[in-house]
Amino acid sequence: MKVLEVKELTKRFNSLTAVDKASFSVEDGEVFGLIGRNGAGKTTTIRMILNIYFPDEGEVLFKGEKTKQNFKDIVGYLPEERGLYKKMKVIDMLLFLAELKGKKGHEVLKSAIDYLEKFDLADRKNSKIEDLSKGNQQKVQFIGTILHNPDFLIFDEPFAGLDPINTNIIKEIILEMKQKGKVVIFSTHLMDFAEKMCDSIAMIDKGKIILNGKLSDIKSRYASRNVSLSYSGNISFLKNNNLVESIENFGNSTGIRLKDYNTDQQLLKLLINNDIVIKKFNVNEISLHEIFVSLAGKESNDVQ
Amino acid sequence: MFNRRTLAIIKRELKTKLFSKSFIIMTLLVPLFMILVFSIQFFIQSMAEEQKSDLIIISDSSEILNKVQNELFNTEAFKSGDLTSLTEKVELSQFEEKLKKHKSDLLNQRITGLVFIPSSALQSKEVSYYSYNPNNSALFYKIKPSINKALIEIYFASKQLTDDEIKFARKDVDINGFRITSDEKVSQEGYGNRIAMVLFSFLLYMALIFSGSLTMNAVVEEKSNKIVEVLLSSANSTELLAGKILGTVIIELIQMAIWLSPVILLITTSWFMIPPEFMPQMSIGYILYFLFNYGLALITYVALYATVGAIFDNPQDAQSGIWPLLMLIMIPFFIALSLESNSQTLFIVIASLFPFSSLIVMPARMILIEVPVWQILLSIIINVFVLLGIFKLAGKIYRIGILLTGKKPKWSEVFRWLKAS
Repeated sequence: MKVLEVKELTKRFNSLTAVDKASFSVEDGEVFGLIGRNGAGKTTTIRMILNIYFPDEGEVLFKGEKTKQNFKDIVGYLPEERGLYKKMKVIDMLLFLAELKGKKGHEVLKSAIDYLEKFDLADRKNSKIEDLSKGNQQKVQFIGTILHNPDFLIFDEPFAGLDPINTNIIKEIILEMKQKGKVVIFSTHLMDFAEKMCDSIAMIDKGKIILNGKLSDIKSRYASRNVSLSYSGNISFLKNNNLVESIENFGNSTGIRLKDYNTDQQLLKLLINNDIVIKKFNVNEISLHEIFVSLAGKESNDVQ
Repeated sequence: MFNRRTLAIIKRELKTKLFSKSFIIMTLLVPLFMILVFSIQFFIQSMAEEQKSDLIIISDSSEILNKVQNELFNTEAFKSGDLTSLTEKVELSQFEEKLKKHKSDLLNQRITGLVFIPSSALQSKEVSYYSYNPNNSALFYKIKPSINKALIEIYFASKQLTDDEIKFARKDVDINGFRITSDEKVSQEGYGNRIAMVLFSFLLYMALIFSGSLTMNAVVEEKSNKIVEVLLSSANSTELLAGKILGTVIIELIQMAIWLSPVILLITTSWFMIPPEFMPQMSIGYILYFLFNYGLALITYVALYATVGAIFDNPQDAQSGIWPLLMLIMIPFFIALSLESNSQTLFIVIASLFPFSSLIVMPARMILIEVPVWQILLSIIINVFVLLGIFKLAGKIYRIGILLTGKKPKWSEVFRWLKAS
């Protein structure tokens, strides 16, 4: 079921169109990645989803209805540029953030302390934010994002500036949230993370969505364009074949790049029909990074 | 606008500011600062009066010289040694020469001044004063009565009048102010209300500038340390602005009530013994009005300061953006101070009703005279409308400005934001 639908969102700043008719949807219970380079329009899109920016055109639907204030209450948002009141005590800061979301009382306090323990910060709960290290401030910020037990989580570049241990903690929590059936949207320019964690992605470049869908579909769609082949026989007939875009000889193997996706089986038939002895036929797994480079590397108007 | 989110923000403001060091320091410091300002003024004034003056009095008439010298001998200044005077009898035709002779002494201030009283002064009462510093009102204040008295005595001596008649002629007119109010009570007016007017206007002026700047810096800080985006993911910008302003208003009203508590005790109890001419005639109703008006002024100005804070992302740039606001506070303040000479001119009546200036001029005017109730109500209505307008305007600029960072926006861009939303 679609929980969040982004329809034709457009935002202009003076002459710059930061987001240009962006549309995508997020299914219930999935981890959704909004990926793109720095400055591609990720943060602006997220701000429009959260009603921090008003879109010039388009709309955001939550469960089929236009988002209102009550949407903000069930969202936990971790912005890319972190910010806390430096002079506040850790525990006061957390309780204030939860109170803004409408959660207060003993339960929140207990849950705050639980999270602080989990992040190894329980002994710092009465310290001022400014006395904490940067990494610890990030942890506090992260706790503030999830403390009110939101159904919907939006993380803007959640791994920026974290050491490997904290990165792992946050990764675990994102997966834990997923298991609890919560929807997680995160933006990142780190394709690796997106590839490992996301169920669906939307790829944004220069304000436009250039690719959108289930990660598994996308990968299978794009994966089958690169074939590495070990054979004996003469394959020169492939050079002018309209299935093939390029052929590269690597010595032990030959790399064939297909013009279209999902034509690997046709290529295999073609080789067999031409009596080539096939020793190895490997349809390469393509990484999200390669997909991104192949799409965003081009001018965006060349891409659908 | 007023909901649990606004409330949460107000609570945070109160919690972090009301018991903060800076609040306590400010609460103590402002009265001390005001005492300091007033005592410095007093000190400078008394310094000017105590400065030693050495005069030469020149006249073509020995009678004038003798009388004036006699009168000067009797002044406090002469007795305490702050004033010395020599007399020289000089013919009118030789005065210029005499002046030239004394010129170097006057220039290097061995002589403070040269007072020339020609015998024609007995008709015209015109006296000349030659000095390196001819604008010495403190000195004139000391010597004028003596010269006047001497001239009057010589003039009337030939008229064969009694001493009583001369005494009457010499006496200056003394105007006593009596305040007429609607409650049929006619009471003699001392300095109390004039002092209170200056004091209250000054307090209002300082408190508005201080609280405005503090709010502005807080907004700039929230913007530059990015907390604002976290807040905006929970509350909208209007709630944020409203919470911030109302929080500040509550804190500042508490502070003002603390500052005014000595005045409240002064007018409601007899614990303090002060001379009746310094006792302000003021009711508790006025104090309540003053606090209410201060609340309106705070919302208006703090909203504007917060808006300026939202436009800029560092304190230096923000400082450059507050001069229009400072004008909006300073001009009314100076108008209020001018009330001391007359509080009933048409200009003052308009200023006490006009947006912005009314917030500072009306409370000052109300200390001095009984302002018609319709004028007070009208000013409140005008102020409330201005406040609502300002709040709307501030909200629009704040909403866009608060998330923009980087280049300092031009004013033309800010106007475009207003149109955009």
